[in-house]
Amino acid sequence: MLLNVDSLDVQYGPAKVLHDINIHVKEGELVCIVGRNGAGKTTLLKTIGGFMKPASGSIEFRKDNLQGVSLEKVARKGIKYVFQDKRVFGELTVRENIELAAYPTDESLTEAIQKVVSIHPKMEKLLNSKAKGLSGGERQILLIGRALVGKPQLLLVDEPTEGLAAKIIGEIIGILLKMKAQISMVVVEQNLATVSRLADRIYIMKEGRILREITDKALIQQPTLYEDDL
Amino acid sequence: MISKLEKCPALTLAVIAVGFTIFAYFTSFPKITDFMIFCVFVLGFDLIYGHMGHLSFGHMLYLGAGSYGTAMFAYFVSPNPFLAIGCGILTAGILGLILGSVVVKTSGAAFALLNLALNEVGAFMVLVPFPEWTGGEDGLSVYFDSYGFIDVNNPMFWFCFCLVSLLFVCYMVIRFVRSPYGIFLKATKENEIRVKFLGYNTYAYKLVTFVLSCIIAGFAGALNTVNLSYTSPSLIDPTRNVEVIFAALMGGAGNVIGAVIGGTAYMTISNYLARYIVRWEMFLGVALLIFAFKFRKGIWGYMAKT
Repeated sequence: MLLNVDSLDVQYGPAKVLHDINIHVKEGELVCIVGRNGAGKTTLLKTIGGFMKPASGSIEFRKDNLQGVSLEKVARKGIKYVFQDKRVFGELTVRENIELAAYPTDESLTEAIQKVVSIHPKMEKLLNSKAKGLSGGERQILLIGRALVGKPQLLLVDEPTEGLAAKIIGEIIGILLKMKAQISMVVVEQNLATVSRLADRIYIMKEGRILREITDKALIQQPTLYEDDL
Repeated sequence: MISKLEKCPALTLAVIAVGFTIFAYFTSFPKITDFMIFCVFVLGFDLIYGHMGHLSFGHMLYLGAGSYGTAMFAYFVSPNPFLAIGCGILTAGILGLILGSVVVKTSGAAFALLNLALNEVGAFMVLVPFPEWTGGEDGLSVYFDSYGFIDVNNPMFWFCFCLVSLLFVCYMVIRFVRSPYGIFLKATKENEIRVKFLGYNTYAYKLVTFVLSCIIAGFAGALNTVNLSYTSPSLIDPTRNVEVIFAALMGGAGNVIGAVIGGTAYMTISNYLARYIVRWEMFLGVALLIFAFKFRKGIWGYMAKT
């Protein structure tokens, strides 16, 4: 098992927002977490990424307990996070954004750039542009590419298609599908059409709880059959 | 021309050297030496303010540490000016390392105010508990040896020494901010949490930057002591922090040329405007308002944009 989240509770001050969460991710799997706004999907992802401390329960990554581990150590263990807000380091160039991701790893800059360019060839022309000038889609691609630098083992992706044009969404889905063969992923997504194309397994979240797990591939591809659960 | 200046360090250093020499030729070499020493201080301060994005209200502490380290070494140990400068730099660096290990854990208002509090403590330590070592309110007058033409009491030699020192600091800061470390600093300034998510121990990197900034400030303090053969509590006075903040803002924070322009502009205003306007500090206040509202990127930022 790559990731195992067991009996996880998370609180914002006195308010409990995640209740008894149990999920797992196997090697090479793409797991989607779906649910309405406020269901606790992003909170769960942030807790796995080390951004929030759980009130109780455990998070194990390759049987290492991640509880109390700092953000940078979580990243060095091979867990990378792609944020929802698509914020890149705007004052840096695209090349510098990739360079920054490459330094803490043993991957060379050339290899890192090649990796980003391979998922989106147009990025090569943008290498020397300031990242703040990129479109929303290009930013998302840069963020995904940057997270791939250094051979990560698990990618946490928060709402990768939110706020993007339909054409770009198709491109992002294509990239995630291509990456699926190389890396395990946990993707938080509200768009069930996207989920049906990506997921190997689905967890449906509601009001801070895991409502249902869907493992049947045929069912996953028919969102109408489970959208009422959201 | 401006974009070439930003891209080519050799051209930047040449323009600074020629600019200060011409300025000194038409005014006074000792006065411009003061200007250059202040520019070294601004460069040190700008490393944590402009490049790392942490505003400190207490950087005078490290200027004072460098100054007192130099003066006390010359007074009690040896009048060799270069050993004394080395001692001043070391004092500021060690103090920066000890205090920095605590202060870089904070950010924003806490960082600014914690530095101010430490500066207050430092100023108190100089004034009250050890007057027999620091000279108390009177400060310390010191004498420095000369070795043939190496004479720090000769205004021309000292001008050249300070000019070379300024160019050296400029070059080191340019190299530093253009290295991968500089990319890290820019990213930390934008969003430290995201940098941590990439696997960086931001604490260690910030501490190194803070100590480097303190060393440069200490170097400026040491040069100041040799320049005046004297040090006094005014060099560690927390209320004077506004001078370096103002200079960095006015020149354009986060840029070596901006720091030099800001330092020179501030010193020019404080030295020459005072001749014509009694309460010249009021002019500084008005100028600060104009910069804050109209020219946030300072003089150099504005020039580079137009």
